[in-house]
Amino acid sequence: MARELHITVDHGVCMGNGQCVLLAPEVFRHNDDRQSEVVDPAGAPEDVVLQAAGYCPTGAITVVDAETGEVLFPR
Amino acid sequence: MATVAADPEDLFAPEVIADPYAYFGRLRETDPIHWNPRAEMWIVTRHEDLVWLVRHHELFSSAVIRNDRRPPHPPIDVADRPLFEEVRAFRSDQLVESDRPPHQAMRNAVHEYFTPQAMEGWRPFVRAAVAELLDGGEPQGRMDVLEALAAPLPVRVITQMMGVPEEDREHLRHLADRLLYINRGEPDRMRFLMEGIEGMIEYVSPKVDERAERPGDDFISVLAQAEGEGVFTRHQVLVNTALLLFAGHETTMNLICNGTLAFLRHPEQWERLRADPEGAARLATEECLRYDPPVKSTQRIAAEDVERRGKTIRNGDRIRWIMAAANRDPRAFEDPDRFDIGRQPNPHVSFGAGIHYCLGASLARIEGQEVFRALAERFASLRLETEELSYQPSIQFRSLTSLPVAWD
Repeated sequence: MARELHITVDHGVCMGNGQCVLLAPEVFRHNDDRQSEVVDPAGAPEDVVLQAAGYCPTGAITVVDAETGEVLFPR
Repeated sequence: MATVAADPEDLFAPEVIADPYAYFGRLRETDPIHWNPRAEMWIVTRHEDLVWLVRHHELFSSAVIRNDRRPPHPPIDVADRPLFEEVRAFRSDQLVESDRPPHQAMRNAVHEYFTPQAMEGWRPFVRAAVAELLDGGEPQGRMDVLEALAAPLPVRVITQMMGVPEEDREHLRHLADRLLYINRGEPDRMRFLMEGIEGMIEYVSPKVDERAERPGDDFISVLAQAEGEGVFTRHQVLVNTALLLFAGHETTMNLICNGTLAFLRHPEQWERLRADPEGAARLATEECLRYDPPVKSTQRIAAEDVERRGKTIRNGDRIRWIMAAANRDPRAFEDPDRFDIGRQPNPHVSFGAGIHYCLGASLARIEGQEVFRALAERFASLRLETEELSYQPSIQFRSLTSLPVAWD
């Protein structure tokens, strides 16, 4: 059973490059300002979520283990 | 006595080149979406408008070179018109000049190479290159920052990324210098530019064949692999390798020179950096990017009629968006004309936004951080040797022609 993730997008940093939305469209979507927002943290496997976070050119995405609080991205 | 008034719409006027902040700042406050009849383009200057425009890539196409049928501005020599068509064909295949869907596939093929974490792996190389370049000049007590550091550093990094031998650096620097004519105003610029383009094709083409046979971990191998997968044509591989050399060159030069100049003009911020060069370098580099950005502006072409602030931008209209003005917008930044190396948040738009957000941003950041840190660690008494500074007559790039400094 996959662990539960807590994913946040910092809108002070997100520039709307959209790589996360392309890689994991079930997890991220664009809001009206064309910034990324989380729609379903369980929408894709953890490795895909971490890849999407790593693809963000501005480092706007943080991924945390919802149960333990361990920061999975950035490391 | 009557004086001849300068044309207020002349974007290449000496005072606009010298101080774009005053000129575009006035537009930002009085007419934020301004039609410039002389250049036949819209000038967009507010932070909010700029971010909106760039993130709506379906309304504003990046394929300006391909789709804009107006003659080059400023004008070129009539005899060079056929050259311009060759340049157009070449530049139309640049990633930065493409729209979705092809842009998406091409960006995907190269995006992973440039992620922040992948680029962190280049920091030791950048640090060593900066040290080596400064070691040579340090005993002399003076240098031209542009010639000694800002120009050679990005060429070293890019040649390493291309996986080509060190002895080819001078040749590639020469080609990069020629490619810089893309954004100049001289009437005979197409000849220099074509020389750079043909030189790049000749140099890179055999390398692509090599890497297709025996792939390495270099950038040309990434493109050669994408060619094998049908994402890029051979022409696109050549064009985008040239783009890497060109785009990574003048931008980084300007970040280094403009940032260094900002420190020289603000001694209290220089002392702040010197107090903790490693700790302060990251935010300081962001502020250098905001305060005097390497790229002042870039352009789009409208893909449909769009209304904004009571103006109608028509399908086919050119739009130039001015990062240098948006970065000083008081609606987005507190005390925007102040150079503050601890500024946070700092949502500058010097790397653009949206799907075309600068591919090399993470590398540029590392180069800036390592340079400012090294300068602060080495040169306590860094000072300007002259107040006679000048900029290249470009509407796009904020490029000093030299930056002479000295130290004790």
